[in-house]
Amino acid sequence: MIKGLLKKDLYNLASYKTSLIIIVIFCGVAIIGTDAIYWGSVVIAIIVGMISLSTFNYDEISKSNKYILTLPVTRKEIVLEKYILAIGSTILGALLGFVLTLIIGNIMNYLRPDDLINISIEALLATTVGGIFGISLIQSIQIPSMFKWGAEKGRIQMFIIIFVLVLIGALAGFLLKQSGLSIDIEKLESILNQIGLLIIILISALMYFISYKISYKVYKNKEE
Amino acid sequence: MNNIEIKNVSKKYEGFLLDKISFNVPAGTVVGLIGENGAGKTTTIKAILNIIKSDSTVKIFNKDIHQDEKKIKQDIGVVLDDSFLSDYLTPKQIKSVMKEIYSTWDEEKYNQLIKQFNLPENKLIKDYSSGMKMKLKIATAISHNPKLLILDEPTSGLDPIVRSEILDIFRKYIEEDETRSILLSTHITTDLEHISDYIVFIDKGKIIMNAQTDKLLEDYGILKCSKEEFSKIKEDDYVSYKKGKYQYKVLIHDKNNFKKKYNMTTIDKPSIEDIMLFYIKGER
Repeated sequence: MIKGLLKKDLYNLASYKTSLIIIVIFCGVAIIGTDAIYWGSVVIAIIVGMISLSTFNYDEISKSNKYILTLPVTRKEIVLEKYILAIGSTILGALLGFVLTLIIGNIMNYLRPDDLINISIEALLATTVGGIFGISLIQSIQIPSMFKWGAEKGRIQMFIIIFVLVLIGALAGFLLKQSGLSIDIEKLESILNQIGLLIIILISALMYFISYKISYKVYKNKEE
Repeated sequence: MNNIEIKNVSKKYEGFLLDKISFNVPAGTVVGLIGENGAGKTTTIKAILNIIKSDSTVKIFNKDIHQDEKKIKQDIGVVLDDSFLSDYLTPKQIKSVMKEIYSTWDEEKYNQLIKQFNLPENKLIKDYSSGMKMKLKIATAISHNPKLLILDEPTSGLDPIVRSEILDIFRKYIEEDETRSILLSTHITTDLEHISDYIVFIDKGKIIMNAQTDKLLEDYGILKCSKEEFSKIKEDDYVSYKKGKYQYKVLIHDKNNFKKKYNMTTIDKPSIEDIMLFYIKGER
């Protein structure tokens, strides 16, 4: 049953094919233009992860939810399917970001042997896991609110969340600078390595789990 | 045996109350749910399908919908007026989704229906006309050979030719297996005269009539009379009346008895729409 719902969402998302390719190319070009090569994987992971949430919009436009509830699928399965899709897209986005950054970095090094970019797999892995954490945080907040208030209101909320996160990040950066501490990617990498990437992934998984429980509670009593 | 049995289905919204709706859909019959827009037809259907929570007993195939929902829904086909799987899919993709949803999905039947209805297989549903969309919804609803079809306004907004084609599909569906049933809600009551066995009439959230279609059309009548003649009729002998410029039109619920009792014979055969209008708009 879940397979059928997944297929429906993936067919809906197929219309993003071209946009996705353009975004990935754009990110690739942007990566080449800067030295911040590690951010490529984060950006791609987040974009792919966010696209999966747009299935809520498709459902809303087609008023699919009412029809889906007439099919032999349980509300639990309906909620679970959205999480499988979200987590799947996050993993896919992270893998895609990781591999693409590596490929683009190596191509650039090949083309510009006099201006080598130092690609550290550990650092790339750390930023990719950082990206996974970021998108899982956004999705974990977004999915229950979309189940509760619908995709349209949820989208406004999404921008607010991203804005707030960016603001917090900027503020944290500013405060760090003010306090005389400087933060660079190596330091971040070492912090991440100290905490352990596995723990960050476990925290992401826990966020998804709590979010799923909330979504199910919301959707169990929702009337279409 | 009844394919649907509902007892005391109630649901309260702001400014609307669905009030203790009870009726059955026997096996082998088509039951038409009629009433004006906002009368409670869709709410009743949603309660039957457990899409909305209601205080009620809903049994489908003798099983409680609140307990055996998933199992029951394997044997139901549903068509909703304003909702479908997705507007951004093609019929071919619908097929690929549905075979994962229904264990008894009959791909050959679906292909054949798509062909019969002349539906382009690779065109997005959002680009379909409303008639084509409805035919696709119906093809999707009957391709797993359900025992019960629940249809919410399947003919609204369609031209008479498409409507007649769709009614033919329903007729064929019922003829294929005599244990099947259809529950069909509509405000286009002429469709029901040709196809329904029972009529359940809902008005302002209450059932005001539940009768066999044939008997309804046979027993009811519209009397045309003068004001003087009308004044002689006892209140119990008519449902409601409409005052015209030159005459009174009166809805009678027992034509034959009426003829015996009063010496008035200008009684026309009403349509279901007439009966509905007299109930809703007539004076008492």
